[in-house]
Amino acid sequence: MDILGTAYVVDDDPIHVFGMQLLLKKIKFSKEVLVFRNGQEAIDALLESLGKGETLPSIIFLDLNMPIKDGWEFLDDFVRIPHHNREKVTIYVVSSSIYPSDEEKAKKYQVVSNYIIKPVNEHELTQLLGNLGCLND
Amino acid sequence: MTVSQSIFHHTAIPFAVLDEEQSFIDFSKQWLKEFDLTPKIEGKYFFEVMPELPEELKSDINYCLDGIEHRSYTKRLILPNGDLVWYDWKISSIHKDDMSTPSIMIILEDITNKMREEELLVKSQEVARVGGWEVDLVKNTIYWSKMTKEIHEVPEDYIPNMEKGISFYKEGRSRETITRLVQHAIETGKPWDTELEIITEKGNKLWVRAIGEPEMINDKCVRIVGTFQDINKRKQIELGFNKISERLSIATKTAGIGIWEYIIPNDELFWDSNMYLLYGVKETDFKGVYEAWESCIHPDDIEQINGEVNDAISGTKDFDTIFRVILPSGKVRWMKGEATIIRDLEGNPIKMIGVNEDITDLKTTQLQLLKSEESLQATLENSSVGMALVDEDGRFMDVNQSLCKSLGYSKDELLKLTFQEITHPHDLEKDLSLLRKLIQGNISTYQIEKRYFNKTGEIVHVLLSVTGARNIDGNISHFISQIVDITPRIKSEKKLKGLLELSTNQNNSLLNFAHIVSHNLRSHAANLTMISSFLTDETLGEEERKDSLSMLSRASNGLNETITHLNEVVQVKLETDKKLKPIHLSYITQKVLMDVQALIEKNDVQITLDVPKHFEVKGVLAYLESVVLNLVSNAIKYRDPDKKAAQVSLKAYENGENIVLQVTDNGLGIDLEKHGKKLFGMYKTFHRNKDARGIGLFITKNQIESMGGKITVKSTPLVGTTFEVILLKA
Repeated sequence: MDILGTAYVVDDDPIHVFGMQLLLKKIKFSKEVLVFRNGQEAIDALLESLGKGETLPSIIFLDLNMPIKDGWEFLDDFVRIPHHNREKVTIYVVSSSIYPSDEEKAKKYQVVSNYIIKPVNEHELTQLLGNLGCLND
Repeated sequence: MTVSQSIFHHTAIPFAVLDEEQSFIDFSKQWLKEFDLTPKIEGKYFFEVMPELPEELKSDINYCLDGIEHRSYTKRLILPNGDLVWYDWKISSIHKDDMSTPSIMIILEDITNKMREEELLVKSQEVARVGGWEVDLVKNTIYWSKMTKEIHEVPEDYIPNMEKGISFYKEGRSRETITRLVQHAIETGKPWDTELEIITEKGNKLWVRAIGEPEMINDKCVRIVGTFQDINKRKQIELGFNKISERLSIATKTAGIGIWEYIIPNDELFWDSNMYLLYGVKETDFKGVYEAWESCIHPDDIEQINGEVNDAISGTKDFDTIFRVILPSGKVRWMKGEATIIRDLEGNPIKMIGVNEDITDLKTTQLQLLKSEESLQATLENSSVGMALVDEDGRFMDVNQSLCKSLGYSKDELLKLTFQEITHPHDLEKDLSLLRKLIQGNISTYQIEKRYFNKTGEIVHVLLSVTGARNIDGNISHFISQIVDITPRIKSEKKLKGLLELSTNQNNSLLNFAHIVSHNLRSHAANLTMISSFLTDETLGEEERKDSLSMLSRASNGLNETITHLNEVVQVKLETDKKLKPIHLSYITQKVLMDVQALIEKNDVQITLDVPKHFEVKGVLAYLESVVLNLVSNAIKYRDPDKKAAQVSLKAYENGENIVLQVTDNGLGIDLEKHGKKLFGMYKTFHRNKDARGIGLFITKNQIESMGGKITVKSTPLVGTTFEVILLKA
């Protein structure tokens, strides 16, 4: 399929990151997958891309529970990025938390498209890619 | 010439005719009678017969014999025997012609009695300061006697008139009265006799008695004569007396004081009107004897009263007593009686004069007061509320059983103490400052919750209400304290609070656990699910499969580790009920510092230690060690590499019932605004430190809380962090 440009995976769990990378590569989700271990690293990368005039990632898989800057803090920072391009970025929250309160809170952020509960499987990602393809048409 | 004796002989005038030789030629019978003489004086020399006559009479006789027609005079003469005699005489020369022999006729009267009366009158008028006056309404003239002028304080040559006379009367009642009286007298002939005030010429105010008698002719008033008397002295005394007696009467009446007088030898008893009022007896019903009074007295008091009257009369004891009387209505009244005995020169009792005062109201009040004092005392004694009377210095003046029970002291022991001595030092100042306000009168009462120490040194919680009692000058005389022992309440409150805190903590722990399970265990589970799905995926290459296998082992290790951590926490929770033992804090800090000696040296950390040797805390040895170790190693781990030297200080101090251990570093610090809430949570890390596991502070907090303590943190990024561990004093 390989229709998306760059995908960000923001997660501090190396096992999950390994899995995500393996799956995204397998279904040819995007041209490029960049991994960040916490919210701060991801924000820094976004701002750097903006500064260089590069295109922003098409999709961000965001974990919630991370050191230094967690998923919530990342979202708070992200909505403050003063660039209309950020509206083209789709964010998926990917968390092991089955707490309904976490899901509700995540959906309050307009930038969050969906809430995915770990573990992520191939079928889910394929479906997701299909949806994004429709949107982009 | 001869005078016919028949003409004047029988007249009632004492006269005589003398010849040139001053011998009696003739005389009237009245002459003989007046001077107690016989007719034999005829032809005898005048001065031989009557030697005791004034010299002036001799001269006058000579003058008349020499040809002077008339001489008359009134003369006072003091006789050799000292008697005073007044003579009045008239002498006429009888000279028919130049040829005849001169002779004289003399009328001589002894006017001593008349003069004496007149003199007395004048004297008495002077003494009585009575002046005379007369108004002639026909001629419209007015006459004032010398005394009248003197009373008016006008000069002797003063010429009064009607208008001026009236204007001396004081304006107002006096002037109106005199005008009316004069008017009335002129119209109807009615005399007056009145007492009025005048203002003299010199401006003095005087009381005068004015009497006027009109004389009427044909129903018309022609003249008024009268007297004018200065009665100022009398009037002043009279007015003064009236005022005093009126005052006395008002005073005795309002005070309910009756006055009585008992004439002892005659058994006569006189009462004033107040006495009748006091005894409720009609004046006509009172027989005026001792027995009549006795019959009014309460039968139970008669014997005592009779004894006291006898004692007073015999002079043994003054009469000053209290007794009851029964009024005709049957009511009983309390009387206070006082009396004086009046004695004659021999010391025999003549009179007993005394007063009675109705003191029923006072007596009733006294009885009520006694009753209320008794009941107050009973209340104080039996109240379940602790009560105390406290003097201005804080000394207990009186305490009740309830307070003794609360404080564990006996009454005698408490009375030797001040409230300051048994007050918890932390509560003393707030009590004293309120007490000062009370003394200054800013407040009249106050209520506080405070702590006392009982006899065995335990804390007693009380609710204290203090009211100031003031003496008659309005100054504080003492304080009335009500002390409600609320120790059981406070204890159960504390227990309840403790329970609440415990269940809140447990709830929080549960919640925390739920989070831990959801986040940490689930993430491992999710990883395992994902990795195992890779292992069964035939489409994956050999390399990927191999990686997946190594990931599987990491995931299962992670799960194991997390379970171990959770177990640690559960252990701490389970052992909350473990008996706490007293532990020397300095022993722990020293041991920990030895354990991390290598780390300290390696990182060149400067350690400051200030933990007093005698500080003992309640705790579990292993927990305390773990807590201190964790804090110290954190302080070293999160040092700021940009600073020259890392510094860590351990310091302990006392705070009430706690001992506080302070661990301060100059490291990286934590942004508490961002991370404060999560700081003591499980698996929270805030630094890019590869050793950070996010488990230490979580366990530390749990351990501290299981020992009844608390942990707090203050931190500024890039300046440093201070953790305070609040532990229970052993």
